[in-house]
Amino acid sequence: MNSPKHPVVILGGGIAGISAALELAKLGHEAALIEKSPFFGGHAAHFCCKATDKCQKCGACLVDQRLRELFQAPDIALYPHTELTHAERGNGHFRLAFKSKPDIIDPTRCIDCGICYDECPSIDKGAVLVAASATQHPRYFIDPEGCLLSHECLLQGCQRMCPAKAIDLTREDSAFELEASAVIVATGYQPADPASRPHYGYGRLLQVITGRELEEKLRLGEDLTRPDGQPARRLGFIQCVGSRDRLHPYCSRVCCAYGLRLAKLIRHHHPEVEAVTFYMDIQSIGADPAGFQAEACQAVHLVRAMPGGLQASPEGSLIARYLDESTDQPVSREFDLVVLAVGISPGKDNPDLAEMLDLTLTPEGFFQSLDGEHRTGTTQPGVFLAGTAEGPRSIAECISQAAAAAREVHEYIKALV
Amino acid sequence: MSILRPLEIIIAHGPELAAAGLDPHEFALAVGGFPKTRILLLDPALPEEEQQDRLRRFLGKGHRRPVVIASTDPESRAAATLRILRRTFQCNPERLSVVDLQPALEQRDKKSRRLKGLELIRLAAAHVTRAFPIHPEEVPVSTRVLVWGDSFAALKAAQELAASGYPVTLAGPKPELHPLDPEVPHLPVSAGLAALVGEVLSTDNIRVLTEVSLLAVEGAAGNFTVRLELAREVLEETAGAVILAPELEIDSHHQAFGLPAHPRLISLTEVERLLEKGEPTSFAPEEGGTVALLAGFSPESSPPGLRRVLAAAAQLLKQANLQVYLFLGQARVAAPGLEAALEAAQENGLIVFKLPDMPEIAPADGGTGLTVSFVEPVLRRPVKLSVEAAGLEEIYCAAAANAALAKVLEIPLNPRGFLQGDNVHLTPVATWRRGIYSAGPGRGVMGLDQALMDVEAAVAEVQKLLGQGAAHVPQGRAVVDRGLCVLCLTCYRVCPHRAITYDNRARIEEIACQGCGTCASECPQEAIQIRNYTDDQVTALFESFDPQLSPRIVAFLCRNSAWEAYQAALKLKHADIPPGLTAIKMPCAGKIDVDYLLRAVVYGSKAVMVLACHPDNCKSRHGNEFARWRVEQVQTYLAEVGLDPQRVLFKSLAANAPQDFLDAVAEMEARLGAMSGAPPKAAVR
Ligand SMILES: Cc1cc2nc3c(=O)[nH]c(=O)nc-3n(C[C@H](O)[C@H](O)[C@H](O)COP(=O)(O)OP(=O)(O)OC[C@H]3O[C@@H](n4cnc5c(N)ncnc54)[C@H](O)[C@@H]3O)c2cc1C
Ligand code: SF4
Ligand code: SF4
Repeated sequence: MNSPKHPVVILGGGIAGISAALELAKLGHEAALIEKSPFFGGHAAHFCCKATDKCQKCGACLVDQRLRELFQAPDIALYPHTELTHAERGNGHFRLAFKSKPDIIDPTRCIDCGICYDECPSIDKGAVLVAASATQHPRYFIDPEGCLLSHECLLQGCQRMCPAKAIDLTREDSAFELEASAVIVATGYQPADPASRPHYGYGRLLQVITGRELEEKLRLGEDLTRPDGQPARRLGFIQCVGSRDRLHPYCSRVCCAYGLRLAKLIRHHHPEVEAVTFYMDIQSIGADPAGFQAEACQAVHLVRAMPGGLQASPEGSLIARYLDESTDQPVSREFDLVVLAVGISPGKDNPDLAEMLDLTLTPEGFFQSLDGEHRTGTTQPGVFLAGTAEGPRSIAECISQAAAAAREVHEYIKALV
Repeated sequence: MSILRPLEIIIAHGPELAAAGLDPHEFALAVGGFPKTRILLLDPALPEEEQQDRLRRFLGKGHRRPVVIASTDPESRAAATLRILRRTFQCNPERLSVVDLQPALEQRDKKSRRLKGLELIRLAAAHVTRAFPIHPEEVPVSTRVLVWGDSFAALKAAQELAASGYPVTLAGPKPELHPLDPEVPHLPVSAGLAALVGEVLSTDNIRVLTEVSLLAVEGAAGNFTVRLELAREVLEETAGAVILAPELEIDSHHQAFGLPAHPRLISLTEVERLLEKGEPTSFAPEEGGTVALLAGFSPESSPPGLRRVLAAAAQLLKQANLQVYLFLGQARVAAPGLEAALEAAQENGLIVFKLPDMPEIAPADGGTGLTVSFVEPVLRRPVKLSVEAAGLEEIYCAAAANAALAKVLEIPLNPRGFLQGDNVHLTPVATWRRGIYSAGPGRGVMGLDQALMDVEAAVAEVQKLLGQGAAHVPQGRAVVDRGLCVLCLTCYRVCPHRAITYDNRARIEEIACQGCGTCASECPQEAIQIRNYTDDQVTALFESFDPQLSPRIVAFLCRNSAWEAYQAALKLKHADIPPGLTAIKMPCAGKIDVDYLLRAVVYGSKAVMVLACHPDNCKSRHGNEFARWRVEQVQTYLAEVGLDPQRVLFKSLAANAPQDFLDAVAEMEARLGAMSGAPPKAAVR
């Protein structure tokens, strides 16, 4: 296969990668956006709007708006379900090899009806995935890894039932190469593993969910219920899960904001619901931290203590035990749902990517920037960083870092020619 | 069919359209019933050369007729076709209407699918055949940039702009350039910052003006007229853009906590001064004595402030061999490495008490030192601690002069006095006035790393705006009828982007206008029209409705939020959108006139919905508020003539909230049901 030239290759199609691509396009560069998952938008495409009687400035809606811009931008080549397998550089250029999962669903035929999703016997293995954002086409993706075909799915229901005959289960992986003058690493983060705090029983206690799961539920407009179907009337939020502990010796910087905004949102729509937030310290939030905190105190009961553990009660609720701040007495409180405000952990692929691109990682596992002042540059000329790949930050901060990285690339390419 | 004028219609489809229940050939035949139109069925999956050929044959040479292209998911499915139309055939975006057939495919039966599809095309045709092509034109602009302030961000911006060939005027009120790094001790001034000052002063392309006040910034981006008052003269110059980065101010906020004035209770800067002079003992005279540091008790406490406190603590521990206590309210550790630094400090001997409130501090009885009284947080007993001295964290705030500056610039301040409105659409460095950017300490408290990203982003904005001295400006999005304008200046007051100036009539500054239409809807003389959202065009839409589709609901959707939510909702499986719902995409809710709402009713709408962005989320600042007021107004009009005001519904929602869109539709249907006395439809979900 011949290798088309794209001056800039961006790895990672989350808000940081998308913003960098859009910005580069506006500065007159062609960019290729490589996304490992089948869909663009990254984590933030799963978040809900947190507006109460007014916008809470969480930035989540910017992602949906930018996604549409991305799909309409003529100078950005999109490569979903693709990942880097090899990188090489010679006389100032990068030669990058990629591997793509097949388009089992033919995008020109698919009508996004979702019958493949409904018919698949292997949904729990993630055989058919659905994009969070409806701007994506196709909205569905058949992942050969989860598909039972490899284990002889005799039904092949999807292929037979697809009204548009868009599915061909025999398509295979492909490989290709791109040349680039510069690379932006924007491969993001993974939500902290809630199992790093085993005493909260995530996975074992079904009433315990993560902030990420709550965001998604609210985005889909689902009602908040306990696993037994009872309405959830008492909500507990535990902050700093996967942050500021021995395994994660840093502040994730976004969880206070999203945790409190979610709690406020739920209280706004359901004033009868109780919300308690357990925290160590509240970080300053938004353009008016004092105002935000005052409003949060109105809506949410803030407790400066971390529950020692959670226990299931026979009635189907959870019991949290903690030391009361003012009386210093151990108290128990019942909750229908407990939300763990999981933090930002380094991306899974960081070590591999660092090796391929000759980059270093910080002790925490994020990509090491040039120094504490230049957070978009790396020690490798031509390789730049954007977004949470470099360290925890909010959507808005990802956007500004991406804008900065795009301009650095612009200047770098100008100096090359 | 008086609404139709000559046009070309392309139906781009592969096998999917038939699969989704709309037979393309039958559909094309039905569309062919429109007068004065020609139709092409084209498979967007064909090789590009082939598509180009077919399009050439279809459109002919010198064609100048508007084009409607209909498809499902046109922007992705027909991406190649659209590229050819836009690039090879140079179709003007205003004369090329892209129709997504999805709302038709949603319909339950074949007939409604066809009717809905036809209505979608008719609406697009009515609009596009009345559209004016809008052409961007190159207009000359000044490449000079005014950078305001002497912060690190200001100096860096000046430096980067100069290096990219933009002459800079760097001006500010202070007598000399004195940038600050909020994360490091302020004394001594760091070598890096001192060197930066030197570099800036010796760069040819940067003119540095000190002790200046900004008198006015008039006109619009590209050619602002800037008036600066210097010591002896008033300087007037033209600048293409402005970057605001005035330095932060420091406040030791003693008063906020009612702390006593005491020589041993000092601010962190004073602590640093003593350490710098090598005189920590004058802070705490006794070798091995104890000192207290206080941080995190103000809502304004920030990570940079905490970092400085930790640096001071480390020096006190090391240099002076003192016992150091840190009384900490909220540990503001949301910055790289700060949590680890706090941990490390404790390992190195810093003793930390985390308290809910500021401890009580009083002069020690009969001594020179102080007593700190607090409830010890672990054992919960009251403790009185004697310390030789105490140092209070400083907080950073916006420059006090920002208020005056904002007035001159006619931009709103955020709640903390920074020079950027509090709206996510301004992310990262925009202000409500195009060509004026706010970076680093101009828009918030941040370390140099974040400030540097702001600088890059702001300089990129300048590059995109001014180019090499010519800006691409779409011409005539909003037009003033000079015969009608009476110079009441309503438009000037309501324009969120400050795009209106005036000579003897109101004038639209094309470079700043975003086409939101707030002015046009508010003008009492109806002297302003938004091209391609003129009253005639909107009326033509109403005339295109198909009476067979019912119940007739007209939904005016802001394209930034509600339109996105609607598009997403169409793809949701449980979406149940009534066939008679017609969505009209508006450039901003600010353009939804009272007149449109009333006319929608006159043209037979049972219900009218106005869906806009949430308060504080409008891309044009307050278009959504205008829309809400207008709905209230229309509701009173309806009530006056004996119609049910509940027929008009206003709701705010976000682009990522398709469920909110469906809920709004369900609410509208419920209201309609209640009005007609029919039993309410079972809740859909
Ligand atoms: C529960 C939760 C709630 C949050 N709420 C908010 C909020 O309300 N407001 C806010 O501002 N911030 C919030 N945040 C933070 C926010 O999620 C991040 O700031 C933002 O999503 C980061 O974007 P990103 O592009 O850096 O990373 P990501 O969103 O992680 O995107 C990275 C992309 O790169 C892809 N990728 C990964 N590896 C590879 C590879 N090897 N090759 C190619 N592609 C790859 C991934 O698939 C992904 O699509 C929240 C975080 C969490 C955990
Ligand atoms: S709360 Fe968040 S998602 Fe909702 S409008 Fe505001 S920024 Fe957008
Ligand atoms: S359309 Fe909007 S931006 Fe343009 S002049 Fe009118 S109010 Fe201002």
